[in-house]
Amino acid sequence: MTGVIKITNRKYPRLLKKIPDPPEKLYYKGSWDADIFKDCLAVVGARRMTRYGEQITDLLVSEIAAAGITIVSGFMYGIDASAHKAALKSGGRTIACMPCGIDVVHPAHQEELYNEIIENNGLIISEYENDFPPALWTYPKRNRIVAGLSKATLVVEAGEKSGSLITADLTRKFERKLFSVPGQLTSAMSKGTVNLIKEGAGIVTSASDILAYYGAEGINKLEKNFLWDGLNNLEQSIIKELERESMEIDVLSRAVKTPVAVLGRELSLMQLKGLVKEGAGKYYLKVTKTQFA
Amino acid sequence: MLIKVCSVANSGLKTIGIDVEVNVASRGLPAFEIVGLPSKAVAESKERVKTAIVNSEIEFPQRRIIVNLAPADVPKEGSCYDLPIAIGILSLVMGCELPEKSLFYGELSLDGTLRHTKGTLLLALFAKEKKFTNIFVPKASANEAAIIKDVNVYPIENLKQLLDYCTGQIEITPAEYRESEEDTVSVEFDMAEVLGQEQAKRALEISASGGHNFFMVGSPGAGKTMLARALPGILPPLAEKESLEVTKIYSASGRIPPEGTLVKTRPFRAPHHTISQIGLTGGGSKPQPGEISLAHRGVLFLDEFNEFPRSVLEALRQPMEDGSLSISRSRERVKYPARFILAASANPCPCGYLYDPKRMCSCTQREIERYRKRVSGPILDRIDLHVEVPVVDVEHLSRFEPTQKNLTSSGQIRKRVKKARDLQQNRFKEETIHTNSEMKNRHIKKYCRLSAEVKQLLIQAVKQFHLSARSYFKMIKVARTIADLENSSEITINHMAEALQYRPRVKTE
Repeated sequence: MTGVIKITNRKYPRLLKKIPDPPEKLYYKGSWDADIFKDCLAVVGARRMTRYGEQITDLLVSEIAAAGITIVSGFMYGIDASAHKAALKSGGRTIACMPCGIDVVHPAHQEELYNEIIENNGLIISEYENDFPPALWTYPKRNRIVAGLSKATLVVEAGEKSGSLITADLTRKFERKLFSVPGQLTSAMSKGTVNLIKEGAGIVTSASDILAYYGAEGINKLEKNFLWDGLNNLEQSIIKELERESMEIDVLSRAVKTPVAVLGRELSLMQLKGLVKEGAGKYYLKVTKTQFA
Repeated sequence: MLIKVCSVANSGLKTIGIDVEVNVASRGLPAFEIVGLPSKAVAESKERVKTAIVNSEIEFPQRRIIVNLAPADVPKEGSCYDLPIAIGILSLVMGCELPEKSLFYGELSLDGTLRHTKGTLLLALFAKEKKFTNIFVPKASANEAAIIKDVNVYPIENLKQLLDYCTGQIEITPAEYRESEEDTVSVEFDMAEVLGQEQAKRALEISASGGHNFFMVGSPGAGKTMLARALPGILPPLAEKESLEVTKIYSASGRIPPEGTLVKTRPFRAPHHTISQIGLTGGGSKPQPGEISLAHRGVLFLDEFNEFPRSVLEALRQPMEDGSLSISRSRERVKYPARFILAASANPCPCGYLYDPKRMCSCTQREIERYRKRVSGPILDRIDLHVEVPVVDVEHLSRFEPTQKNLTSSGQIRKRVKKARDLQQNRFKEETIHTNSEMKNRHIKKYCRLSAEVKQLLIQAVKQFHLSARSYFKMIKVARTIADLENSSEITINHMAEALQYRPRVKTE
């Protein structure tokens, strides 16, 4: 199933060829279809993402991927994996660039995702053959492929010394567009992204910011009002609070002035209805388009 | 000349009668032997008895004395045979009769006084069951034995006093049971002292009401330990029957102090995570109760749950299910009750700051996974209430000052808990169980009828949240307790929805 494309091949991605040191050979898994490289967006970010990062990745990527843009990322856990997953979920295509030999699933616990990418017309690519193990130096090497394949790079969350900043640097070096997601100034995981904005990266507040760059159009955005139909007062005030920020049940209980016992049952029901989501002890709104489509 | 003195041997919580046969031969070289599988402590009793008799200003007979502890094949241990051996010898030498239908039990000191001896409560229970009318025990242990009515408990100060009583020179009045004077629950923390953590407090209330195990996960400093230590303050007092059960365990393991009384407050045991498996479950060649049995009818608090060796935690599985633990050794098999509320707490990751909004977690994904895997699924599955305890933002809390002042105190919660427990007591009056958490599937069928609507909600939740079959029943039990707290005979959608809040979060995908 593994194939290889040489740089001399006509099918070799055009954008990648333009970078200073393109890989001589690209090993791949999946079916090679030159179309997949037409409009690529690199989505990178921290391994240790926050809930915010996961939520934003899900929100942005599912809309961008649904509009037909290929999502390229590094198959690491964290933002990378979330980006791949969001792309698959919305029926889009995605490319995973591996920092290791083409036969290695790294990290191994994401094997399910690995297979899913291949099964859904995606690609796994690497410049290393067989079972070449990942090393410290292969990650930054891999990043040049991620940035090189894409017209633009989106950094969702990055710490001060995140590896995603290497990809961001490369993007600028290759003279491609760099997008960054704003985050809270106090969050350690937003230090890198906020700095990128300061240095001139494009601010992303919705998927349309990126889609406009690609000249693509997003699917109709979620009608907010639809949400409010048939909700009771408590549900409405919960949503109002969560729209501002995700919070723990204790904090929410103070905000909506309702005892936890009562709030807990409401949240359970809302969760079952798919209105809110929960993770890392916090509740947040589940307003991805796919939920309401 | 031969005399038979009755005494007992305790094996676990079971008591068997022992005949202490003393023979003082008129012929043969002077000797003093004890036979009948005596342990070291029993064999050494020779020297204590001899010296105690001499120090009581009675001449020790220079005759051939053989003591047999019958039945001869049951191993005997402990120092409780000092008194029957000594009084047996004395009655033969002095030619006095011993009172009939009497049990003798106690350890001698070298000066002839009697020392506090463990297990007198079990002795008194045995006496009552086997229709012995009198028991003679050390004075310091008499109050403990006097818990049991219908048996004359004679508090004995020293050997001389007992001898004088047997020869009819003095009278000894049987001991009357005296309650301990201080009967207040001393609790480290009041619930009102814990800021924020409303959900965790609610979970504790449910836990106390239905006897449910609970598991708290949260960063260091979130208040997990404080919450767990506040739990005893909201538990209802021990019922009379429960109190006796607990006292029996404490008596058997020698944990009742001199002049001890019934254990009235629920035990709270918090062993450190370096505990051995035997220490937790009980055991040893002479099986002793472990922490789980000492926590019977109370709370077993395991702080830093993930730091406990896996083998130690796995040993909890069966007792958590059965409420008791049988310890089998080659020579004996004992069963200790172990019906406790398991209160566990853990950090979300090795460094502790995984979900902390202010601090960076320094663990890798793998480290976190390895850390979580230390507690097995089956153990987590046996825990009814799972709560996340976030770090309290003090600044945020201070904005809610007015509501902070009227925080519910432990006393108020305790009242609600008591009511819910009374409901359960009433419900299970024909069963052998006491609380909702003890319900087996047949009880659930009988006492927790779910309406179609509630059932549908639960089934949907099981699918959506990937709950196990065991969790399905746990949810019903928790919902039952929540309904009890509201004095509702029926489990409604609301009760079930709240119960779902406390489901195990296996993976949040």
